[in-house]
Amino acid sequence: MLWLAVYFPGLPLRVFHDPGRQPFALSERIDGRERITRCNRRAREQGLYPGMPLASALALCGGLRVRPRDRRAEQALLRDRAQQAYRFSSRIAFDPLCLLIEIGASLRLMGGLEPLLQTVLAALCEPGERARHAVAPTPGAASLLARCRPGTRVLRREAIREALADIPLARLSRDPRARRLMQDIGLRTLGECLALPREGLARRTGPELLRHIDQVLGLAPDPRPAWRPPTRFEQTLPLCDEIEHAPALLFPAQRLVERLARWLRARDGATDRLHWRLHHRARPPTSFDTGLLAPDREPERLLRGLRERCERLCLPAPVTALGLRVSDIQPADTPSGGLFPAPSRPDLHWLERLYNRLGETCIRGLRSRPDHRPEQAWQWCPPGRSEAQPPRPGAQPLWLLPRPRPLRERGLQLLQGPQRIEAGWWDGQDVARDYFVARTRDGTRLWIYLDRRSGHWHVHGYLD
Amino acid sequence: MNAPEARLDAILASGRLWRGHGRERVPGTLSSGWPALDQACGGGWPQGALSEILSARAQGLSLLLPALARLSRGERWLAWIAPPHIPYAPGLEARGICLQRLLVARELDARARLWTAEQALRSGACAMVLLWPEGVDKVQLRRLQLAAEQGDSIGVLFRPLRDARQRSPAALRLRVTPPGPSPEGAPAGLDIEILKRRGGRGGRHCHIRL
Repeated sequence: MLWLAVYFPGLPLRVFHDPGRQPFALSERIDGRERITRCNRRAREQGLYPGMPLASALALCGGLRVRPRDRRAEQALLRDRAQQAYRFSSRIAFDPLCLLIEIGASLRLMGGLEPLLQTVLAALCEPGERARHAVAPTPGAASLLARCRPGTRVLRREAIREALADIPLARLSRDPRARRLMQDIGLRTLGECLALPREGLARRTGPELLRHIDQVLGLAPDPRPAWRPPTRFEQTLPLCDEIEHAPALLFPAQRLVERLARWLRARDGATDRLHWRLHHRARPPTSFDTGLLAPDREPERLLRGLRERCERLCLPAPVTALGLRVSDIQPADTPSGGLFPAPSRPDLHWLERLYNRLGETCIRGLRSRPDHRPEQAWQWCPPGRSEAQPPRPGAQPLWLLPRPRPLRERGLQLLQGPQRIEAGWWDGQDVARDYFVARTRDGTRLWIYLDRRSGHWHVHGYLD
Repeated sequence: MNAPEARLDAILASGRLWRGHGRERVPGTLSSGWPALDQACGGGWPQGALSEILSARAQGLSLLLPALARLSRGERWLAWIAPPHIPYAPGLEARGICLQRLLVARELDARARLWTAEQALRSGACAMVLLWPEGVDKVQLRRLQLAAEQGDSIGVLFRPLRDARQRSPAALRLRVTPPGPSPEGAPAGLDIEILKRRGGRGGRHCHIRL
């Protein structure tokens, strides 16, 4: 087996949507003090460094924005990256901020180690992001090397020992007791540790450290739980700056949609329904759906719905985080990367615009139903989904009133009728009516009926 | 036929020149399916342009039914924007209109109606766009007219009678009135007055039997 470890040192900052124009840093409580753990380039230029106490950082840098580090979001983002990697390997494991991918089985498919590395790294990194990687026969060694000696490739198990010799011991174990002991007896690197008699070391440090070293070297098994990709996409992007105007949401949304598109491509799927959720500080979140008429996975088309929506969306409060969920995945029907670009469907784009701007309740198609009662004889439906029904007897109006109104017109001429409609006793909306076509004095034609229960006349539609 | 006459025929056929009697067919029209109306307005509904039907109570849909029935068999959509009542599906089918390509936009305010109509006209995906606007000014009419040209679509506006005096860029304007008191047994019909048309003068009247 051969493991590729990809370490994303910038992930904690990536979790936040940071345009990078102002100094920005993450803080964490370490040994009882708030300290800076990560900062962007702007902040480093101002003299900040990881490990600096938060108070000094704030004193040094006026416009610094600080957020607490969000490890859960980091995990989620790492899992998102894992889904990209799932295209290349079915065995994937995690270390903190580090993705472990078994590539031994994919080497021949991808045409060797170098092409494989290029493809995988390009797929895993977002634009402008740098990741460190290393290759080793055990996951532990690959992870250590990616952190400490990025770019290393160790292909044989026997070579691990040599490659790891000068790695600081502090990187190997997080157990404070073992770390202190190592320092006390003057051990700094893994190589020095391995040079000692095994039994003596085991007696002093306990069995955990030795087992860990054995796993790294490939002398003991290192089982990792198998990871499986989830069946739905759900991500939330916290925003550095709160957004007050809806059009500004498009920029962070673009990033979410690009992740979604990559996720869909990895699963060879497409979607036609995106569920957006705008989180506010002290209010329930605003949520809405945007849709496409045909399943798609191109970021531009996926985003089009939100773009339409944003033009007229009025935010009830500033937005602190943006969430996107997609649970309905359909197989993609267009082959990706064809020789000729797929023909665009202008009429669908136009309909999608209407849909997204006006909402589904406003854009409807019509269909008739096999029922004699006029109220039940028709139905709204999605546009383009109607089927023809056999013609029915009697005069049919062009227009139907939503609710019959009492007949006020006088001096009517009856032109056609009666047509008796008596139906619906089975569903509690039964009618017993005689329908007529009548002409008013000015010559317009009405569709009227006599309610045979109450004896009242009503207008139910127009024929002109 | 000698040469000058042939040249004159070519000019007349191009539709750039029209004769005072206005009986010839204007190119670029879709027959309305009513011979009397076609003759009075020079061939039917102007393609890629606006038409207006002015009536007291949003009447006049009957005039469009033959054209709608023909167009509904095609690939392009028929958009109904903000109809005043519910278009009755069995009634439309009974008049030969296939509902597959019918689109109804409803519950829209005045601005949304115009926006939707403009999108529908401009998209090129609609054969005919029917709009019941809620007040529309000259600039908006001009926008709709341009959109109809761009999408090569037939735009039909249903407007109240009082708008007859407002100037309009529409290529065809019709005033539709019910025929008034009729004797028992007379067939139903509509009186139409051509207020404006391409390739001829307005002011002609015709009557169609429904």
